Amino acid sequence: MTDILNKTEEIVTKAKKLGADEVVAKTTIGKYRQVRFSNNQVDITVAWDDYVTDVALAWKKRVVATQIHDFKDIDASIKQLLGLAKVSAENPMFGGFANGKFRYPKSNADSKLEDLDSPTELVSEAISAAKKEIGPKIDSGGILFTKFEDVYLVSSEGPVGFDSRSAIELSIRAFAEQEASGHGVECSSTLKGFKPARAGTKAGEIAKLARNPKTGDDGAYDVIFDPLILGSSLGVWGGMVSAFNVMIQMSVFVDKIGKKVAPEIVTLKDNPAAYSMSNRVFDDEGVPTKENVFIDKGVLKTYLHNASTAKMFKTKTTGNAGLVAPNPWNIEMEAGDMSKDELFGEVKKGLYLTNTWYTRFQNYAKGDFSTIPRDGIFLVEKGEIKKSLKDLRVSDNALTMLGNIAAISKERQHVHWWAEADPPSLSPYVLIKNVHMTKSK
Amino acid sequence: MDEAIVDYALDYAQGKKVDYAEVRGQSQVQDRLMLRNGMLEAYVSGVDSGFCVRIIANGGIGFASTNKWSKEEAKEIVDLAFKYAKGAKRKDKLVFAKEKGFKTKWVVDQKKKIENVSPEERISALSEVDKALASCGVKVPATMSQCSIDLTTKYFVNSEGSRISSFVPKIGAFIFITVAEQGKTEQAYEQFGYSGGWEAFHEWDIPERMIHNAKVLRDVITKAKAVKAGDMDLICGSEVTGIAAHESCGHPMEADRILGREMSQAGRSFIYKGGKYWIGTRIGSNVVTVVDDPTIEHSYGYYPYDDEGVKARRRFLYKNGVINEFLQNRESAAKLGTTSNGSSRSVNYDREAIVRMANTFVLPGELSEEELIGDVKHGIYMKSFTEWNIDDKRFNQRYVGREAYVIENGELKHPVARPVIETTTLKFWTAVDAVSRKVEFDAATCGKGDPGQGIPVYTGGPCIRLRSVFVK
Repeated sequence: MTDILNKTEEIVTKAKKLGADEVVAKTTIGKYRQVRFSNNQVDITVAWDDYVTDVALAWKKRVVATQIHDFKDIDASIKQLLGLAKVSAENPMFGGFANGKFRYPKSNADSKLEDLDSPTELVSEAISAAKKEIGPKIDSGGILFTKFEDVYLVSSEGPVGFDSRSAIELSIRAFAEQEASGHGVECSSTLKGFKPARAGTKAGEIAKLARNPKTGDDGAYDVIFDPLILGSSLGVWGGMVSAFNVMIQMSVFVDKIGKKVAPEIVTLKDNPAAYSMSNRVFDDEGVPTKENVFIDKGVLKTYLHNASTAKMFKTKTTGNAGLVAPNPWNIEMEAGDMSKDELFGEVKKGLYLTNTWYTRFQNYAKGDFSTIPRDGIFLVEKGEIKKSLKDLRVSDNALTMLGNIAAISKERQHVHWWAEADPPSLSPYVLIKNVHMTKSK
Repeated sequence: MDEAIVDYALDYAQGKKVDYAEVRGQSQVQDRLMLRNGMLEAYVSGVDSGFCVRIIANGGIGFASTNKWSKEEAKEIVDLAFKYAKGAKRKDKLVFAKEKGFKTKWVVDQKKKIENVSPEERISALSEVDKALASCGVKVPATMSQCSIDLTTKYFVNSEGSRISSFVPKIGAFIFITVAEQGKTEQAYEQFGYSGGWEAFHEWDIPERMIHNAKVLRDVITKAKAVKAGDMDLICGSEVTGIAAHESCGHPMEADRILGREMSQAGRSFIYKGGKYWIGTRIGSNVVTVVDDPTIEHSYGYYPYDDEGVKARRRFLYKNGVINEFLQNRESAAKLGTTSNGSSRSVNYDREAIVRMANTFVLPGELSEEELIGDVKHGIYMKSFTEWNIDDKRFNQRYVGREAYVIENGELKHPVARPVIETTTLKFWTAVDAVSRKVEFDAATCGKGDPGQGIPVYTGGPCIRLRSVFVK
């Protein structure tokens, strides 16, 4: 550990000696494993062993970055990077990397995930659970992914830190018929907290209910969003509070700090807490991460910042620095006061959507977009699932939908799926009124 | 890249009880620069280099990769991939379709070598876009411009005698703009891509393209009328034709998707065994022929040999409106009792090669664009698109127009704001009654795989005319 930290520090020291004003170096030694399966069988098992040092340096407000994959290349890489800075162009808005000395809490990374070399049995558990729901005609596929990273960070501006980050996730899609499917996910930072059967059961339950779907009608509906599909919306709203996205107008939240953007029941936070797949004790500038409430009881409180964007917005970094721009780590929607069943009971006639993909915007600043629900889509009447539907699209507005949240469940689930429900989130069931659905004609 | 270590890894793998082994070394010089409102936000440059091993043993597949170039590491990842392959415990054993091995070397030529273009010149060239927009008479309050360069060296070897070395330089650009007029905003982006040298950057004439886009967006705010929804004729410009070809022909024709291997991520296909659609089923009118062709020199998706060492060729996906040929790699081809057609691609040494498109486009017809428009009594010309998507069986799609005009009695009239076609793959391609003669391409990054493998492709085609479709 000390050796890697010393080598990371050497990069910073050498860059400073060569004339860099500010330098941050972060070395990640990663061990990643994945099992991909389909048709209820393993297709491929994959291992990636990787190490990389991300280096960002500033010279007279010129910001350049590189990745070093071999410590033998330090001298040449740093010289080249500084050379690049010297012929680069000034960014007058650059406000510097974060400075200060920080103490970080000890990482809770699970070393069992470092040693988990053959996780195929966990996949079998999920498939078996889905099979219990659907029966022998099940067709299922998905991935199991594990991560264990040791991260060493040194900044010329003070921060020095070590973090271990572990995660495990399973995503399973189960089919009861060609057009009747359900999707379940299970995510955790520890093996102990990981229950693959839960994901299988959920996928199976939805698939079973989704049998014999009929094409739905377009129109405006009250819609219950399952935690998985809400995870996609949380990713959209969370991404749009990144100060960088606000600056390039890829956000509905431009000039809305202090304004009401949602009803009072809505509180959204970014929180890379210990349970989260994206748990971390510091950001990419070495600033301790923390819980940041960005929508508090419906009012937009802050954007997510690194040190430089914080300076531009005359505020403090929120500990969300990525290599170039600030990002959310793990979004949480505060739990509501209704049970899931009570929330369903609020719906006289509406829809229950379980998953979506392919979210695309016409205009990020206005928020007009569409997304295509997949897996179970259900007609709900008087709180009960009445019918399985298919071939409907949500065609609405991101800000309007945030404003139309009418109820939030007590139950929440930690979800993450591919690039569609990303970053990870702690997501409840949510009722959104007057959601516009369209279909092919 | 150390080719000797790649060879060593293959030798070591062949010493085990493997049915098949391959090793792919890949080194990628990557250069990314990003401007925000004309200012350099960041310049990221580096080399990513490593190798992977894929092994078939006991009917299972194992894959392992590393970025540490040593013989010890090679042995470790071979052992790991072998262990994973044997541990798969599949009921039906995986095999690869038989293919010929090749010993060859290929490179993509550059007129102006990217390596000889200084960072200052790259920054300066990209800055011209913002300078042009600043003086074009349209209010553009926000821009984000990116330029990417990838110099990729690969060395592929397998246990069937293939030894293929390659070098591909690629250049790309992405521009996103926001236009504000009368208190309203509109947004657009354009992507550019080329396999070859720096010469492409100037040929694209990005400043002119983005000025045109800015003016289009201004007109959408200030002049465009809403569409009166109903059945009408629709002319799709090449950009719209291309995205439709990619989404509702290329993707559903990927054999791994048809077989269910991508079911939990990119999804399945409306084409499946025992279903309504299969090879030989009509899916469009007889003027519709959609091909995928990796062999177009200097295209963004160019390659003469795929990442399994199979020689690439043009694939006729929909031929005269009929489902004709799926995109195959060696695994899918074996399952379907056919041969690979060279569709296996990977973005880096640490990703398995999977079935991908290259350059997907509609083949041209004989009419001019004017002739297509001239025969429309009432309709819309959707020249380009903004929001789009398609369901995961690739049947229900939606394209929203960015630059679009009303057609009355064969003439283009006023612009229309955000016309929408939301229809099925069958209805879309069946409605096509005419195809123009000029094919144009657009660069795109196609998403698939987990972890994601965004891969460079072209989408394209001529203008196509759809009769009597619902536009809103």
